Amino acid sequence: MDLFLHLCVMIIIYIIFAMSLNLEVGYTGLFNFGHIAFFGIGAYTSALLTLQQVPFELSLLIALAMAGIWGFLLSIPSLRLRGDYFGIVTLGFGEIIRMVFQNEVWLTKGPMGLPGIPKPILFSYRFATLPQYLLLTLGFAALTFLILRIILRSPFGRVLRAIREDEVAAEALGKNVFFFRIKSFVIGSLFAGLAGTLWGHYTTFISPGDFTLLETILVLLIVVLGGKGTEWGPVLGAFVLIFFQESLRFLRLPAEWTRYLAPLQQMIFGGLLIVLMIFRPEGLLKEKGRVSNAGN
Amino acid sequence: MDFLFQSILNGILAGCIYALFAMGLTLIYGVLNFVNFAHGELIMWGAYFLYFLMGKPFGLPLPIALIPALLLTILLGIGMDRFVFKPLRTANRLTLLIAALGLSFLLRNGAQFLWGAELRTYGFEIKRGLRILGISITLNQVAIILTSIVCIVFVYLLFHRSRLGKSMRAVSDNLELARVVGVDSKHAIQFAWVIASVLAGVSGILLALDTNLQPGMGLINLVKAFAATLLGGVGNIWGALLGGIVIGLAENLGVLVISPGYKDAIAFGIMVLMLLIRPSALLGRQE
Repeated sequence: MDLFLHLCVMIIIYIIFAMSLNLEVGYTGLFNFGHIAFFGIGAYTSALLTLQQVPFELSLLIALAMAGIWGFLLSIPSLRLRGDYFGIVTLGFGEIIRMVFQNEVWLTKGPMGLPGIPKPILFSYRFATLPQYLLLTLGFAALTFLILRIILRSPFGRVLRAIREDEVAAEALGKNVFFFRIKSFVIGSLFAGLAGTLWGHYTTFISPGDFTLLETILVLLIVVLGGKGTEWGPVLGAFVLIFFQESLRFLRLPAEWTRYLAPLQQMIFGGLLIVLMIFRPEGLLKEKGRVSNAGN
Repeated sequence: MDFLFQSILNGILAGCIYALFAMGLTLIYGVLNFVNFAHGELIMWGAYFLYFLMGKPFGLPLPIALIPALLLTILLGIGMDRFVFKPLRTANRLTLLIAALGLSFLLRNGAQFLWGAELRTYGFEIKRGLRILGISITLNQVAIILTSIVCIVFVYLLFHRSRLGKSMRAVSDNLELARVVGVDSKHAIQFAWVIASVLAGVSGILLALDTNLQPGMGLINLVKAFAATLLGGVGNIWGALLGGIVIGLAENLGVLVISPGYKDAIAFGIMVLMLLIRPSALLGRQE
């Protein structure tokens, strides 16, 4: 039963994480290949603050703000340019942030990691047991889903899609493409920070090794497998992939196999991305009403 | 003072290697107009191919193992194009880049699967360097500089003196126009992959000689190669050379002031700085 609940919590956290990336990759057409950085920033900020006895409500808000601010700072130099540059800058940023977690030992304890992150107390209710935590993540996931749905169905969301399809046309209609992209990226980073925070308080131990390229690939795969630019795509993708990933962990395979199993599993993720892009780039669920497939 | 000169020498040395990375990356960018995110893995596999051929059961000496290692790297480069990028030639950019990222991850973990995640070297003993004017330089390092010069001269001759090189430049300038005047673009693209793979293989081997081998070495070097490319102007091979040397120098002089833990972040810093202060210069070559 605990196993099942654990699986649910992980899936839901990844749903939030994937929804935030879907806003950027799926709806706005931003090539964010370092999404894990914002997940990590959220996790570390909230963990460090709550370990200093700052209340969870405040820590959460500061963690979200930090993720958003870093998203904003990163987007200024890189979003003016075409997608490839943005892709490589975010990819690099993901690595650099991990380097910071590793090197700033005075703050993050470096490779030792941060143990004993307290379970969240929200309005004096402590979410300590698995079912309680499941409730908490479920609440946040529903909130994220609703907020993103409202954003994407608003005129603002339509502009984002217009930019994705044809940047020049959107610009010609008087939309400032640069500012819309920044907004989309900051909102995406914020929700990635939320997912990171929830994850950190769930595992209660974080270290730089948790925020690698693997996580970026995994969340990207969730989005494109489920169907980028769809509301339910990230949900479906997270169910399929996290189930696969976490159940491998509980198969109790001999320890000497992990030397081969871990890279093998990651090879499958990489290979799956390629195969999907070649044979079914739209993923399992197809975005409704999308006709044009051209564009940049 | 000696310390400073030593750092400058090490910087130029690393810079030569980065220049070779960047030249390959920018070559593919020029011809196919996308950033090959798996270029770093081409570098890494080049180095591992040599490791593979020098180890059991082959046990070849380095100069002999070099040729099959480079041939295998070429095969990998051509294979990448044939099985991943060619089917996606007409796909949109996001699809292409996600596939490239997936390929990069696949190849990185492929190396980890075969050789494990630990640091490896070619197993040469560390020799005391020659001392010239108070600077120490090892024979390996002399070889690195010489090999880089040979590669650069070779690329120069290829591009400016050979028919194939000219057709490659034509394709990278304007694919449609090149086709109209009868340049065989498929041939040119394939040849670009061969050259890029050779450059990647050679630079990977040189880097592994200078430092070590590790499956994760591809990604961080991709960022360095890209930073060098940006510095020199995207699609410009000579700019890439200059950019590489600047990055190499900045890294080795930078660690005199900041923590060595951030050495690999310096290239990234330069890249962001370039994007901030000179965005227009980078837009020179849009599709």
